[in-house]
Amino acid sequence: MHDKHNKDAIEKSLNRYKKERDWFAFLLQAAEMMDTPEGKLQVKLLRILIDSKEKVIDCSENGKPFIAAYYCTAPELFTAMDLPWFMIMETPFLAASAPYITEDLEGTEEIGLGTDLCTAIRLPIYYIETGQMPVPTAVIGLLSPCDGTTMLQQVLRHNSAWKNVPLFSPDPPYSSDERAIKYFANELRQMVRFIEEHTGHKLDIDRLREVCEESNRCYSLWQEYNELRRAVPCPHGWEIGGAQAFAVSQCFKAGDPRCTDWFRQLVECGEEKIKAGRGANDYAPERIRLLWFDIMPYGWIFEFMPWLEFEWGAILVTDMFSNFPYTLIDTSSEETMFHDLAKRNLMDVPMIRQARGTAENFSSDIVRLVKDYKIDAVIWPGHMGHKDGAATAGIMRATCRDIGVPFLHIGLDLFDRRYTSVDEVKDKVSQFFTGMGLG
Amino acid sequence: METNLTSSAFKELAAAASGIMNPAVDDWRSRGGKVVGYFCSHVPTEVLMAAGILPFRMRGTGSTGTELSDAYFSSINCSFPRHTFNQALKGEYDFLDGLLCISSCDHVRRVYDNWKQNLPTPFIRIMSLPKKVGDPQVAWYREEIQILRDELGKHFGVEISDDRLREAIALRNQTRRLQRQLYELRKREHPPISGAETLAVMVAGSSIPAEPYNQLLRTLLDDLAQSNGSREYRARLMVVGSELDDPEYLDIIEGQGGLVVTDSICYGTRTMWVDVDETAADPVGALARYYIQERPSCPRMNGDQARRSQFLQDLIREFQVDGVIGERMLFCDFWCAEHYMNKVDLKEVGIPFLQLDREYILSGKGQLRTRIQAFLETMGR
Repeated sequence: MHDKHNKDAIEKSLNRYKKERDWFAFLLQAAEMMDTPEGKLQVKLLRILIDSKEKVIDCSENGKPFIAAYYCTAPELFTAMDLPWFMIMETPFLAASAPYITEDLEGTEEIGLGTDLCTAIRLPIYYIETGQMPVPTAVIGLLSPCDGTTMLQQVLRHNSAWKNVPLFSPDPPYSSDERAIKYFANELRQMVRFIEEHTGHKLDIDRLREVCEESNRCYSLWQEYNELRRAVPCPHGWEIGGAQAFAVSQCFKAGDPRCTDWFRQLVECGEEKIKAGRGANDYAPERIRLLWFDIMPYGWIFEFMPWLEFEWGAILVTDMFSNFPYTLIDTSSEETMFHDLAKRNLMDVPMIRQARGTAENFSSDIVRLVKDYKIDAVIWPGHMGHKDGAATAGIMRATCRDIGVPFLHIGLDLFDRRYTSVDEVKDKVSQFFTGMGLG
Repeated sequence: METNLTSSAFKELAAAASGIMNPAVDDWRSRGGKVVGYFCSHVPTEVLMAAGILPFRMRGTGSTGTELSDAYFSSINCSFPRHTFNQALKGEYDFLDGLLCISSCDHVRRVYDNWKQNLPTPFIRIMSLPKKVGDPQVAWYREEIQILRDELGKHFGVEISDDRLREAIALRNQTRRLQRQLYELRKREHPPISGAETLAVMVAGSSIPAEPYNQLLRTLLDDLAQSNGSREYRARLMVVGSELDDPEYLDIIEGQGGLVVTDSICYGTRTMWVDVDETAADPVGALARYYIQERPSCPRMNGDQARRSQFLQDLIREFQVDGVIGERMLFCDFWCAEHYMNKVDLKEVGIPFLQLDREYILSGKGQLRTRIQAFLETMGR
């Protein structure tokens, strides 16, 4: 009876997860029909993604250890420990365009969560509270960049099905100096000990070195690719090379040769387009070079991003998630690896970099990206969950004024089209471009 | 705020809470005393006191709008920092010699960035407050306090010795003990002081120097010792939530017959329920331990929810609470999720719970009255 109850609970916890896998399998089928280099990149990426989901399903169904964690909790360590993992906020980050999302968003409201809580936090809470998220062997929690993430871990711990699942959350300091890096490196070491204790998977330092070296190759190629995006016209827009690069490097299996191979192919693809003098969209010549300074609007991306290109020739040249001065890991010793993993996950990775600490990185990143990428306009979407960013809007506006680039703050929900309708967003963007004489 | 208290000490304290500037601050400054504003009850005010500085807790009291701060904050930001920063932009905080911020929440921590860019306050610093309550976090915060000690000493030209720190800790503990005595009176069947009146006393405690405050508090306690409250009430309530510095909010609740007998708010029990260790050889370490591990925590401290929940249940028992009101400022993620859990935990122990979302400045009084009336009725009161 007890076993049957457990089996039912596991099956229920995997329902939504499997649906998500099936959604990606559907996208894979569509991508396989695209006979272009970009289409091949999508295919490769979706295969890595589906494979990572299959591994988690296998672990959950067959009682093998796996963990729930985040992209910014040093995923190289999970790879080195040969430990399958999934991101607790995977759905809003990767699958918010799935057809069942609106139904789930309504579910978050029904369980009584305040609608001003970030949608990316509410969705996983809803899945946890309704038994629709695979219950892992252990959880690595996230305490930055926002208040919502801190509360997500606490609601998770409060839930009856999760309260006995061991949880460790590395504590990110607010400051960004050597003392902060050392402190966070110590938190990562504690995290490793915690994982070893609760999963039985051990960290082999030589294996970590291999993974970090592979991860470095990946990041170097990414950096090379980002140089290509400086070209006018930009070889790629929103469809490839931005969010996917982030996902490949950090969300599935950091330090996996397949990911490096994906980046290699991405660089080749970009180079070929530049040589041919082709821009991101053959049917919509580049007229506006755009910095979208946040996550992409995954909940309604297919209705908005193509419109930007076709209606305005506005090409998303770069965004918050695809362009950072990433630190490569010094693999000379265990100490240097932990130090640099701490630095990368505290000071480099998207969103944590800007929102964890003081507002300086909001301004300095805007200035750097506008200059390096010949940006014509900066859009801060003003996602309803990004409250520290909302309180930085004045600073971003002043920064853009100082460097003479138009700035738009919209106010929307990146995952929920009901918050500000897609038509309203388009209208605001059109008024902005018109008012600024762009396009 | 309606009051029947005739105590002159209370009147002086209530006056200090009703505005930003007050005679005690004026007097302090006229004698050359320095004043440093601070946000959040996790700031170790003892260090400021040891430096001979008056710590002044930042509020937006008296604010009527956010017309200036709206250029920096957005409509999805909590109205507390928006109103407080607006007051600063209007010059209401020009008397400050410094500002001490802390990485408390997404909204308030950005006051630091905006203040730094727009206001010429000579000393401005932000402290990195850990988000967990373990020993490594105590060690980190100890270093943060030490850095603050060094920087304050350097900027204001004072030596903050261990002895001065111990004296400040002892003085601040004295305040805490007196405040706990005040709360003790509220355990009575007919408390001699209401929730609104208590809040005014607590707010005043972060706006005037500790010695005169403690003296006023002693006088008030003497005034209240022999009296019983005459106020009739329908239920004994506890208020749980964040930054609440407006006694009128509680006055409205009490006007409907819900007597607020205790709380877990940023101006209430969480700031004074336990003392800092006065006997520790290392006073900086004692402060770090107190602010990270020993005092009742707030939702930003991860991994401590079970202890917080237990704290509420202990207060419910001690103060014979009939129902709990969870107040939350709009757009606050911490209290959104915390109250979501409080509701579940309190239901398990059979305590009625009402969540009220609010703005920093009191608005929608009629709606608030209706919600309280309905809550009391559902409690059968």
